[in-house]
Amino acid sequence: MQVLEEGIAEYLPVDPDGFREWVRDHKSRALEPKLMSEQDAVSKFVEDGDYLVYDCNYLQRGPSSLLREVMRQRKKNLWVGGKFTWVAVHLLVGAGCADKVDCGFFLFGKSIDRYAREGMVQIFEYSNVVMTARLQAGAMGIPFMPIRSFGGTDGVRYSGAKVIEDPYTGQPLVIVPALNPDVALIHAHQADAYGNARIFGTGVAHQECALASKKVIVSAEEIIDTEEIRRDPGRTSIPYYAVDAVVEAPFGAYPGECAGYYASDPAHVIEVAGAALADMVDQYLEKYVYSVANHQEFLEQKVGVAKLLEIKKRVATKEGYQP
Amino acid sequence: MTQATTFNEREMQICTVARMIENGRTYWVAGAAAPLYSILIGKRLYAPDAQYITEDGVIAPEPMLPFDPIMSMVSARAGYRALGWGTMNVAGAHAQVGLMDYGILNALQIDQYGNINSTAIGVYGREARRFGGPGGADSIASLCWRTILMTDQEARKFVERVDFISSPGFLDGTPGARERAGLPRGTGPWRLVTPCALYDYNEERRLRLIGVAPWVTVEEVLAECQHKPVVAEKVETLEPPSEEELDILRAHLDVRGQATGIERSHWVIWDGERYVRQAEEG
Repeated sequence: MQVLEEGIAEYLPVDPDGFREWVRDHKSRALEPKLMSEQDAVSKFVEDGDYLVYDCNYLQRGPSSLLREVMRQRKKNLWVGGKFTWVAVHLLVGAGCADKVDCGFFLFGKSIDRYAREGMVQIFEYSNVVMTARLQAGAMGIPFMPIRSFGGTDGVRYSGAKVIEDPYTGQPLVIVPALNPDVALIHAHQADAYGNARIFGTGVAHQECALASKKVIVSAEEIIDTEEIRRDPGRTSIPYYAVDAVVEAPFGAYPGECAGYYASDPAHVIEVAGAALADMVDQYLEKYVYSVANHQEFLEQKVGVAKLLEIKKRVATKEGYQP
Repeated sequence: MTQATTFNEREMQICTVARMIENGRTYWVAGAAAPLYSILIGKRLYAPDAQYITEDGVIAPEPMLPFDPIMSMVSARAGYRALGWGTMNVAGAHAQVGLMDYGILNALQIDQYGNINSTAIGVYGREARRFGGPGGADSIASLCWRTILMTDQEARKFVERVDFISSPGFLDGTPGARERAGLPRGTGPWRLVTPCALYDYNEERRLRLIGVAPWVTVEEVLAECQHKPVVAEKVETLEPPSEEELDILRAHLDVRGQATGIERSHWVIWDGERYVRQAEEG
């Protein structure tokens, strides 16, 4: 296959057979309970130097409580898949957890500008759909994904993309490397103890993240009985054998909305976005992340019952968000 | 339609795009702000059977308005009563097979061939100010049959060559440049709309000025382009917004004036004889 052009950036090495062997040796196919605390899940499955993806983001039905735990545990040298994100990248880099980012989209502002300028983070250039295409290849066990977008951009140069001559049509074709992250954090509406998870509504790439990643932590608003999963199997978004840990995390997407369950908290969203814009991430982390021991303390001390009831009451609709 | 007498230029920009919306067409947007507001005004007033798809795979929703004050992706209000819900790869695949007629994009910096920079201003990797990356814009600019671009009419945003191509226009402008880069044939930028001017792309794929707002001259618009576009033989005078359009925009869409940047945009006032653009305050 003729390579016409290729990017010069570092990318996570592609190894589909290695990933298969990891799956063979580490993913349990037994139906066994995987419920654990967020502390245990993050300390067991997120390791320094891991490539980490999260689905959706800190402000939109993402695993916000798990991300806070990663920062609390002061993980180091993470490489983050920053597809469709607003502030999660700023928080992870600002907390000293991450030093490489594959960029799809993030909020720009003083903090990320400074992190990049001071060399706290290396950024590689992709886009949202290019990142989800990479995850799709990873989730299919294939080494790369051909895409019809992205061609001609400078992103091709500063990423792991290549342009090849398509062996079927003879035309130029952009391919991007499969992504098999070390660990994925995914927030679901419901999951059973084995990890069968239900996500209602739209999403970014939760299924691709779950199947492409070596280690998968699912947090869920509700832990439900497996009998309920069996009653409506078409609702299962992620099957148990892709999942390594299940964490019960009511309001786990806070300050973001969890569609059908609760609305976002605009005051907190503005506060965290403001911190990212104004280069005050340290202050945010001190106030909301390091000063509490876990998600429950965060909800009790930093959010409070009145606010939780208010965002629940403000839920836009339940239509489409329950079986 | 009643011509409005007080509005700002960004409202003008959104309403100009709203009038381009066509029945029976699909529009792929990133799911927030001005491009989405243009479609919703267009659907309400001119083209009720235009449909839109957002980056998170929402197909043809009937959203609850106004949106969540912060943002609309993956939100229950934005995806309400859709015909289908998917994911980002679903929306991307639908666009890749040719189902998206139009994309509408906000651009930070743009060049004469419609290439967009949303990554870094300056010399990439050395002296650059960092921005947020293309998000979904590169896919929209690559895969929709036609792309409508929106940007401010400011000299520094209209350059000969963008500092970084985040999303592809006609690239170097040579015939077949997009196809040679692996992009689908027959696609590319179609219109560029600023708060006071309208452009298309000529046969050489260069930006061409085809319309100006009643309160500016062609010369004034050209003064706000670092790289001078081609000027069409006949430059039309654009219609100002109508009260009906502004009512939808202000009361149901951009209720806090975030997208229209009411504190930053130039205001335009009808003084009884003509439209007058107010000088920027402060």
